[in-house]
Amino acid sequence: MTHAVRRRLALSGAALAVLVLALGADWRSPPPGEGPETIPVRTLDGHGYVGANDLARILDATKFWRADVRRLVLRAGNHTLIFTVDNPFVVVDESTFWLEAPVRSRNGEIQIPVALVDSLPADSSLARITFDPRRGHVVVLPATGSVGSPRVSVDGERTRVTFPATSAEAAVIVTRARDHFRLRFGGVFVGTLPDSFPPGALVRSLRPLGSAGGSAFELSVDAAAIGYRLNRDVDGRRVTLELSRVFERELESFAPQDPPGARRLRLIVIDPGHGGADDGVVAGQVAEKDLTLALARRLKVQIERRRIRVVLTRDSDYDVPANARAELANRLDADLVIGLHFDGYVNPRARGATAYCPPATFEPPSGENGTERASSRLVLLPWRDVAVRHAVQSRSLAEAMLSSLELRGLGPTRLREQLPYDLLGVDAPGILLECATLTSSADRERVTQEAGLEQLATAIAEGVAAYQRND
Amino acid sequence: MKRPILGAFLIAVLAWLVWQTWQIRPTRPRAAAPADSAAVGVRAVTLYFGAADGDSLVSEDRELIESANLHERVAALVSELDQGPRGRGVAVLPAGTSVLHVYLDDRGLMTLDLSGAFRQRFRGGSTAEYLALASLVRTVAADLPEVKQIRIVSAGRPLGTLGGHLPLDRPLDASEWP
Repeated sequence: MTHAVRRRLALSGAALAVLVLALGADWRSPPPGEGPETIPVRTLDGHGYVGANDLARILDATKFWRADVRRLVLRAGNHTLIFTVDNPFVVVDESTFWLEAPVRSRNGEIQIPVALVDSLPADSSLARITFDPRRGHVVVLPATGSVGSPRVSVDGERTRVTFPATSAEAAVIVTRARDHFRLRFGGVFVGTLPDSFPPGALVRSLRPLGSAGGSAFELSVDAAAIGYRLNRDVDGRRVTLELSRVFERELESFAPQDPPGARRLRLIVIDPGHGGADDGVVAGQVAEKDLTLALARRLKVQIERRRIRVVLTRDSDYDVPANARAELANRLDADLVIGLHFDGYVNPRARGATAYCPPATFEPPSGENGTERASSRLVLLPWRDVAVRHAVQSRSLAEAMLSSLELRGLGPTRLREQLPYDLLGVDAPGILLECATLTSSADRERVTQEAGLEQLATAIAEGVAAYQRND
Repeated sequence: MKRPILGAFLIAVLAWLVWQTWQIRPTRPRAAAPADSAAVGVRAVTLYFGAADGDSLVSEDRELIESANLHERVAALVSELDQGPRGRGVAVLPAGTSVLHVYLDDRGLMTLDLSGAFRQRFRGGSTAEYLALASLVRTVAADLPEVKQIRIVSAGRPLGTLGGHLPLDRPLDASEWP
């Protein structure tokens, strides 16, 4: 091995070591279900090997195979890797490396000595990988980076939650509701969560969320916090969420919340989904549009018993355009809007209820060149998205509704934070509720019977009552 | 008689030594080794299908013929989604969905023009609709990282919604579809 080759190998190894230290991450102990992708390493004749298919996949490489000379070429970004079967020499771009063990062919797949990972270029066009000999696998640190163990500290009136993050600029606030404040990062979570918080911390809980495109965390923020600020330190590779008990300039506010105590409900708009030429889901001779109307009529009776006025967007079989629904709800100054639907899925085993509510998104105003004007307090919201203003109340309604359904055994239930079509332009708290799944024979049999539909109406009315009590 | 054989042997040994030296030492700078033009490149992609219970997406890795053409790459991904999973999960795209046109601007906004089957053959409720859109967005975003937003149209015409539950009048942000 030449001096130049040795030097390059040493530098690559050092770069990886520095990378792991800089992350401050215990990537060897990711929590269950989280953590970086790994590929297995198998031992052949005392040497570790990775499969060429696994390697190509994690490097996002294109494979070219020449059977006559038994040569495999991987092209990833601007890089080219060349392997020849039974040859310990590999070509990486313009350099040739000796790997102590030859490239092998086993069961139709090329096996590459794991020592190669130390010779790969460390630049942004290639996924960063490293060999973990203790666990016997190769760990992939994706190009989008990683997020290390969050640390919570208290400094006077401020609480700081600091996340080591290689792509700090990619951190965004997804939901700014105090009870489920959500942060999303570009990189994968490779750390551990704190066992406890220091005394006086404004964070009540912190947990990771599943996120296919990176990682996300949900915090529950103490009621004493009056605002937050997110600092993205790109050079320092960390993101800090500051929570404060006292007013400071440039603090952002949490999503508005109702005061504790019973909510005032005067009028509810109920929208029986579909209608007219739009049947909705059709399963077992049952059309969704007929069931939603039948349920809406029963629900109207049940809710009005509680001295709350109910207006239906339709009372017979016709389609109601989205803008007409919104116009009706806004003109009546509705306190709640509930869209009733019945679900359908390709797999008849899927069953249960789902609620959709607007996300508590926050989009700070941007300057002409895309820079944020953090000091500005003015946020422009398209009227189409006006329901987002009521995201916190809408989520409370969804949770109360799903809880009521679960209590009566009408689950399983799911909650999805996506602005539903029914709520476009609606300036009121609201949800789209899939009350059951028509393509499930068990659900369909239940809701097509008088007793089943009445039970469903009772559960929804109880959900409204729980939302009103706000307990 | 022996001399020519000995000479040939020595030449062979010399040639082997030269070859070994050439292999070990980093040779003079040269262009990256070209892939064999006659060979076909394949690339691993990640596809997202619906979970059997409708709760979420499930991923599946598959290898596709590589193409430098954006339209062909997206068309291949959508075609694989349309064919359905080989493992667990279920196909959630309306049957027969294919790609008509693909446009990508310099801000990462992709306009994806899908065949009329996407709109006409959609069946189901919000779960089918949610997972069909999520399957498309996640698959395209996972395999084409330069795509940040996707505007879905069908047969060249804009769509207000696919099944009446989720709006499609605005581009879908890849980061909002976990």
